[in-house]
Amino acid sequence: MSDPMNDRPINSEDLALYAMQLLTEEERAAVAAYLAKSVEARRELAEIQGDLAVFAHTVDLHSPPTMARERFLKQLARERKPGSPDRAMAETRPQGAPVRSGTVFAEAAERMKAAKIEPPKGVSAVESSETVVAIDHIDQPKRSFAGRAFSWAGWAVAAGLAVAAGSFYRERDTLRETLASQTSQMDHMKTDMTSQSADLEAAREVMDTMKDSSAMRVTLTTYKASTAPIGRATYVPSKGALVFLVSNMAPLQPAKTYELWLLPAAEGMGPIPAGMFVPDAHGNASVIMPPMPKGIEAKGFGVTIENEGGSATPTMPIVLSGE
Amino acid sequence: MYRETGLVNSSLTSAQDDAALLALVQGGDDRAMAALFDRYSKVVYSVALRVLRDPSTAEDILQDVFMQIWRNPDSFVATRGSLGGWLAVVARNRAIDTLRRKKPTDQVDDMALASNYNLANEAERNSLMERARSVIHKLPTEQRKTLEMAFFDGLTHTEIAEMTGDPLGTVKTRIRSALTTLRKAFTA
Repeated sequence: MSDPMNDRPINSEDLALYAMQLLTEEERAAVAAYLAKSVEARRELAEIQGDLAVFAHTVDLHSPPTMARERFLKQLARERKPGSPDRAMAETRPQGAPVRSGTVFAEAAERMKAAKIEPPKGVSAVESSETVVAIDHIDQPKRSFAGRAFSWAGWAVAAGLAVAAGSFYRERDTLRETLASQTSQMDHMKTDMTSQSADLEAAREVMDTMKDSSAMRVTLTTYKASTAPIGRATYVPSKGALVFLVSNMAPLQPAKTYELWLLPAAEGMGPIPAGMFVPDAHGNASVIMPPMPKGIEAKGFGVTIENEGGSATPTMPIVLSGE
Repeated sequence: MYRETGLVNSSLTSAQDDAALLALVQGGDDRAMAALFDRYSKVVYSVALRVLRDPSTAEDILQDVFMQIWRNPDSFVATRGSLGGWLAVVARNRAIDTLRRKKPTDQVDDMALASNYNLANEAERNSLMERARSVIHKLPTEQRKTLEMAFFDGLTHTEIAEMTGDPLGTVKTRIRSALTTLRKAFTA
């Protein structure tokens, strides 16, 4: 493959960097232009994105905070779309069967008015119940008591059916609400249980790390300080497990953070970020089980001051260190 | 809609595939959206947390990625591959943008992804994770580390070369080789 614009070879290595958005703007534009022309390159890029998706799934899994789901659902509710199921139901209710009882009567009244203007002749009383209602009031003043009672029976049946339908509808609504509420409660309970299991697992890992006889324990101090900051790192390389406790740390400037670094024993490897922390009012802080690669032997640890959000590489000076 | 057929949330989460849920989301079905959240939030959050190392910012990414699906379900179309894979890569790219304090790029949304995995199925998802971890664990350390630095730390090949002292070409080759090994392991 090559970029015909610049006559620069573009290969799958470039596409991998493009997929990870690691190219400069100029390089990115060159690859994008090439992609626009080459079906083969687009197919290869899709394959690479698939590879990256698989690689993303190698990450150690962590449950989102318990409240994350709730916050998401609240945001969904705030941004509810027109025509969503509930609204759709609400909008269609006037035309829907369950709540039509009132409408039926209104329609009947309309028909009655119409019938008054031009009463139909010879309409049988058994054609339909609604027709019976209309005709009965307007066109048959001389009916017998039995006839009037019979025609009113139609009203009574219609009213009874309407009441029953209304009642069933309310009952169905109540059952649905109860079901939705219970489903929601179950979801929350599941989320809580997952979160609690994760917390328990995390606590167990902390305990294992603290008790592990093979753990490397390092004390970090500054040189000749009266109320010297002191940090203790407990690290199990095989598990990538790290617990770091520190005290007497100086307060930070706004928008700054302390960042802990693992200094790999292997030559050529740069410091690995091992978590950020901001001390409390007493100067105490901790970094418990930060996400760390497994199997990295450490020759020591260091702490630097970085901008809020941390840094990919340490900024000098190292304020605490220990080996 | 499930309200009319009597289907409830639990059946949405277990039985329906991503395409069916997305179709419901396009119709404004918030329960379908919640089902997708339940299915993929852990992976999305974990990827963002791995990149950012900050739970609060990782949760922001989580909310952001799923709200994008809610606001614009068409941003993912089935022809672009598996939704689970797409979400994992989008989460990574959004997290890297946050790390670099950049606005999200359009490139993130306009991404096709070749995938044969049905990540909607939890068992298949777990199986893929185990296999992928196993393959990555067996990679030469330099390859694995270089790919992690590029993908999870968002370091450019130039930055990696500076940090490790390796030639630029070696860094690029290691990244590509690691991905090739991963692909071969899953197509074998």
